[in-house]
Amino acid sequence: MTGEDYYKVEQMNKYYFDHATTENFLDFLMSRAKVIAPHRKGENSFIYDEVRNVSDIVFDYPRTIQPLKKYFLPPREELLEFDRKNNTFTETTIADEPRIYFAIHAYEMQAIKRLDFSFVRGHPEWNYLERRKNALFLGISFTPDEWHFSKGVGIEIEKMDGFCLYFEPMENGFLVFEVDQAGRDLLADFNSGVLVSAPLNLEIREKTFSTKIKYHFNRLPQIFELLYNSPVWESVAERCVGCGTCNLLCPTCYCFDVNDEVDLNLQKGRRERIWDSCMINPFAEVAGGENFREKISARTRHRLYRKFKYNTMLSGELHCVGCGRCSRYCPAGINLVDIINALIDDVGIRQQTQTV
Amino acid sequence: MENKVLVAEHLYNPMISKIVNIEELTELEKRFEIELPEKRVLGHNPGQFVEVSIFGWGEAPISISSSPTRNPVFDLTVRRVGRLTDKMHRLHAGDQLGIRGPYGKGFELDTFKGRDVLFVCAGIGLAPLKSMIDYTIAKRKDFGRLIILYGTRHPALILFRHDIEMWTKADDIEFHITVDRPDDRWKGHVGVITTLIPPLKLDVERTVAAVVGPPVMYKFVLMALKSKRIPDENIHLSLERRMKCGVGKCGHCQINGVYVCQDGPVFRYTQIKNLQEAI
Repeated sequence: MTGEDYYKVEQMNKYYFDHATTENFLDFLMSRAKVIAPHRKGENSFIYDEVRNVSDIVFDYPRTIQPLKKYFLPPREELLEFDRKNNTFTETTIADEPRIYFAIHAYEMQAIKRLDFSFVRGHPEWNYLERRKNALFLGISFTPDEWHFSKGVGIEIEKMDGFCLYFEPMENGFLVFEVDQAGRDLLADFNSGVLVSAPLNLEIREKTFSTKIKYHFNRLPQIFELLYNSPVWESVAERCVGCGTCNLLCPTCYCFDVNDEVDLNLQKGRRERIWDSCMINPFAEVAGGENFREKISARTRHRLYRKFKYNTMLSGELHCVGCGRCSRYCPAGINLVDIINALIDDVGIRQQTQTV
Repeated sequence: MENKVLVAEHLYNPMISKIVNIEELTELEKRFEIELPEKRVLGHNPGQFVEVSIFGWGEAPISISSSPTRNPVFDLTVRRVGRLTDKMHRLHAGDQLGIRGPYGKGFELDTFKGRDVLFVCAGIGLAPLKSMIDYTIAKRKDFGRLIILYGTRHPALILFRHDIEMWTKADDIEFHITVDRPDDRWKGHVGVITTLIPPLKLDVERTVAAVVGPPVMYKFVLMALKSKRIPDENIHLSLERRMKCGVGKCGHCQINGVYVCQDGPVFRYTQIKNLQEAI
């Protein structure tokens, strides 16, 4: 944590919630809004889902399979409903209801912030903003596994920016940080829990990331200036099958396609947008068959440049948040951090040969 | 979210528009005259495009092929090449389709004003370029020489025959056409588009080039223009990409960091010559 962040956290009100209070708090949240939280799916997999029983919520999880973006950019989203006979349409309606996202990790929150940037830039998109506007996020700490590397892209476990409250597990309960006004309002309405008075003398578990990028994250956009023709892209392409899983599980990927679906009676239908993937072959193909990114190496390069350079030039932030999903779930076992470190090695070799 | 004042835009709603006339140009291409609801003016710049859709058949980017000086009806010239365009070719005058747009950046009109304009196009590339050609003809006195080079594979594929007849007859337009494969009756020039460039006598200081063609054409035309000493910043070209959404979101048209649907489709050559996937 930077000094400034640490100071901010020091200044926040903190409450101690024992397990019973935490459970009451979640019941309280559910009385107010739909609550989305991590659930177990199979033995070692987790998903975000709407909470029906507080006891179903998983507080300690490495990551979910699908990122939280599915609530703001659904995998399949109706844009219009049309009537072919009369050539009329109605725009989709989006329920105007508050939603609370509970037990969210810092990298996931930061991914939502990257999506905010992408959907607001240029033309602020109503569909995204409508789903986004009533969302409250409650963060939770996590223990990094071998795939996480968010610290390597500048996102600390305790980064609270974007959350209204933040939960740090401790003996028999949680330390709850009151991050912003929305969090303060929630706690005031809940009116329970014990205010912990400063100074803090809590032993928050020391957590470290086993997976590391060799360079400081500030240097990454610069090295991408030098890597367009790196041999690393070809070596990744030797193993990549171009399935697009990395795009679909990436919390900051948002490319989409638009298709019309027609009912069996052929009169009515829907114009839908579905997630698309720049790793899939026809992504950059135009009518007539010309494909502007036919090679897997070029598509891999494009995917990484979108995370580390193109979007970064616009937003000033890396658009990889270090969740590790693309590596954890790649069917070919390709690891993003290995690619980045190979690129760093390549830059090192180039610089050495230049100076000799 | 941040306390910024955001005006959320409803980006994907088409305007249900009417086809007022259809002209068959070749076996593959038709020209559609389109009228927006309440005869609204599209308000485009030459070189811009719209998203055209038919419910149940999807949506695709189509360049506008008429000049904004002619309104409110505008032209789309469409080659039958996919699902949507195939359906378009089976529509009739009076039928409706959806229009979104206009989108993207067209030709920089101020840069062209007062200059000699060299148009270079091949195949369906004439369709987007025609919005600019018609504009310069409508505002004839704002421009110097108008030189149009048009290449096509075969005489049967020649587009806009009425216009070409007019361009050929006009004293103040220099029109040159070439075909790759002539038929028995063809008496004109034979060869690829680049063969029309070397004989031209150009005032390099005054000339601005506007180039549109199939992807394979650009490299060779650019080489030919270079040997004519036309500076790169005076070459403007329009790129074809899969501009699915038209509003810089869907990602399909991205070339490196550039969104063709927002930053293009018309670029100065200097803007894209270092973009490795552009040409």
